[in-house]
Amino acid sequence: MFKQTRLRSVVLAATLTGLIAYCVMGGFYAREIVVEIAILAILAISLDVVAGFGGMVSLCHGAIMGIAAYAYGILTVKFGLPPLPSAVAAVAGAAVFGTVVGWITGRTSGIFFIMATLAFGQMAYTLIFKSQWLGGDDGMSGLPRFDLSWLGIKMGSSLTYGLFAIALTAAVYIAAAWVLRSAFGRTLGGIHANETRMKALGVNTILHRARAMGFSALLAGIAGIVAAQHTQFISPELLFWTISGEVLIVVILGGLGTLIGPVIGAVAFISLKHQVSGITDHWHIVVGLLLIVIVVAGGRGLYGQSEHWLAMRAGKAEDKTGDKSGDRGHA
Amino acid sequence: MLEVRNLSKSFGGVRVAHDISFAIEPGERRVILGPNGAGKTTLFNLLVGELAPTSGDILLDGKPINGLSVSERARAGLSRSYQKNNLFENLTIRENLMLAAAAGQRKTTGMFRDCFGDRKVRETVDEVAELVTLTEMLDKPVRSSSYGNRRQLEVGLALATRPRILLMDEPTSGVGPAMIDGFHRLLQSLPRNLTIGIIEHDLDLAFDVADRITVLNFGEIVFEGTPEETRGNKVVRDIYLGDWQSNA
Amino acid sequence: MDTGYWALQFLNALQFSMLLFLLSIGLTVIFGLLHFVNLAHGALYMLGAYIGVSAAASFGSYWAAFFLAPVGVTIIGAILYFTLIERLRHAGPMNQVLVTFGLIFVFLDLVRMTWGDIALGLEAPAALAGSSEFAGISYPTYRFFIIAVGAVVMAALWVGLTRTQIGAMIRAGVENGNMAAALGINVNRLFFLVFCVGCALAGLAGVIAAPVFSATTGMGISILIPTLIVVVIGGLGSLEGAIAGSLIVGFIETLGAVFLPEVAAISSYVLLAAVLILRPQGLIPARG
Repeated sequence: MFKQTRLRSVVLAATLTGLIAYCVMGGFYAREIVVEIAILAILAISLDVVAGFGGMVSLCHGAIMGIAAYAYGILTVKFGLPPLPSAVAAVAGAAVFGTVVGWITGRTSGIFFIMATLAFGQMAYTLIFKSQWLGGDDGMSGLPRFDLSWLGIKMGSSLTYGLFAIALTAAVYIAAAWVLRSAFGRTLGGIHANETRMKALGVNTILHRARAMGFSALLAGIAGIVAAQHTQFISPELLFWTISGEVLIVVILGGLGTLIGPVIGAVAFISLKHQVSGITDHWHIVVGLLLIVIVVAGGRGLYGQSEHWLAMRAGKAEDKTGDKSGDRGHA
Repeated sequence: MLEVRNLSKSFGGVRVAHDISFAIEPGERRVILGPNGAGKTTLFNLLVGELAPTSGDILLDGKPINGLSVSERARAGLSRSYQKNNLFENLTIRENLMLAAAAGQRKTTGMFRDCFGDRKVRETVDEVAELVTLTEMLDKPVRSSSYGNRRQLEVGLALATRPRILLMDEPTSGVGPAMIDGFHRLLQSLPRNLTIGIIEHDLDLAFDVADRITVLNFGEIVFEGTPEETRGNKVVRDIYLGDWQSNA
Repeated sequence: MDTGYWALQFLNALQFSMLLFLLSIGLTVIFGLLHFVNLAHGALYMLGAYIGVSAAASFGSYWAAFFLAPVGVTIIGAILYFTLIERLRHAGPMNQVLVTFGLIFVFLDLVRMTWGDIALGLEAPAALAGSSEFAGISYPTYRFFIIAVGAVVMAALWVGLTRTQIGAMIRAGVENGNMAAALGINVNRLFFLVFCVGCALAGLAGVIAAPVFSATTGMGISILIPTLIVVVIGGLGSLEGAIAGSLIVGFIETLGAVFLPEVAAISSYVLLAAVLILRPQGLIPARG
């Protein structure tokens, strides 16, 4: 069961503040990094909702982001529709895709689920890659940002866009936390803990998992819009399986099932990426080894392991009769 | 209310249920007896839908439910507790019961409100906790609870959905005599309009509680009758007491 | 369309099915027996192709590649087994997926670092160059060779699994690992053997595919997905399932590309979706 503990709130606030500060005080390059972090954080939060709390490890979340981005591109560039309704429609489209994939794979779990999502993600990649109308390998450019000039906000400014991305990250986190604490989220946790019992209690678990994937895809779609508007250019690369893989790694890096861990993971991942790319071209091997090392070391991730240590120390300081499960925030 | 007609189940060449027919009336307390391996749990699995029959029909309120999934049958009011504890291990006892109560009240899909804060859900949890005497333990994690408490929770989960028919699979297995008494009291305090089927091994409890008894052996019904009739029946006594009694 | 055209399509489909079979049988038995999810299986296939290229270059002979690639990949597999796989055997599917997924990334860059980014070709041996006659058409001899290799491996595995004692032990282990161990079967050694054979098959598939598809850094993942689809469709852990699955996917992909090119790209995914909805355990699962 998810619990927004004080520790998690503090870490969230601190991280967001740090990002805002970096955005405000840094130059253009800093803001680019902040937006990259935001996109990845939103994606990672969306994945944690289903993977960490529902046990549904998806390898197609990059593709879902890409679908939203392309839907946005199609509506704005190909059909000339205004940005805001297009963004809403694109996110809804991603949610539909997620729900359908969730329903198809709802009967499966564990490894089959992972393989199936990998396959469907690649299917989306193939379809878009092969499409001449969508620009194929060359991608699509000219995607507009929101026009908030009537509010006096210049979305063209890198500072504004950076703050916008941070604001969306916070909103996505809050939405995810809220839903995880709702009846829906509780039931999802129950299905993760014991699916046969949930069925025996009268819950249609396949439909529930489909909906969970749909909600997760909606959040991932938001990342897609930010990505599309950031560079105002999209290419099929967004949907390639390595992106989905990196999102999963970010979640594990931060801490699966903690919701704030993925945000930490995104910060760490992007920072590391920029350090490494200065030294070598071979980022994939670093990513791969990182993942292996984390898993072999226990798999809790940066934030997850810290939370665990703190809980252990609190547990030791307490009486034996104290409730140890309380302050971990995740029973 | 719950009727079974010519129900059979085979796994390849192995026949685990053969031509089983019986009917449980509304409000009845039916005890299923039989030695180990008689097919009692298999029968329950067939009734709730976790196993598909090879042939035969299952009817609820006169309507066939063969095609319904496990969750559909549960929503129709059929609830079941397991012989081996099947709980939400990583949660507290209260959270376990809340999930069950919310499921029973169809409060599982809302994305805005927390069903754990819902008044009716909390009321149901408190009531069921009292019935199964877990009120003191509600905030204990299941992982650190005793076997007896887990067994109580196992029944509690099945009750928390407010079913119309409750099937209990060896609810007192592995627990001591004090708890068996407690279970006896629980059965007395359950509403009379709740139809109950119990698989039991404790013969005293069975004879005390049952309105009617069905005896299974080798996947077939070998006897059905009132407790007195069952006690006096030779076939049943042979199954349970074996040859030495007839020689004594 | 004359019989020649159909014969051509049939052979192409069969050839692709054989490649899929070689990969999927390794994956499915490792998965069915060890309960070990090895997403890096496609990377082993890729390594087979590249090792083959280097072996052929060093020894000037295709047959050197044909022999050394499976051996090389098996050695790499054995190293992986003792360093990572064995430790993870009981770590749960999620951790296995994550670690082997990490391995995909690692191998991707290792291959790039060792052999560069450009596709590398491998020449078919002179004995198999050129074309042969079949049902009135000319078909590349080398592709017949691929089909032949696949058929021989299929037959060998069939005999091995159904007629030998080791085969029986493997099948027992797939159906019920605990019971097999309780019966005294040395499950650990069996697993290692199966894992090595699986790696060898992946390497073999890579080296025989190289003359046709070239060795590229993307070949690992591009074959992994159809292989996964084969395993899901065919059912876990069974030889029959792998045969059936690879034939189905192979033919649908090949014939689909010919007759319905727009739909071809997603045809196997549609099939995957259908199987997942209607029969998630696969067509011929090894475990009821």
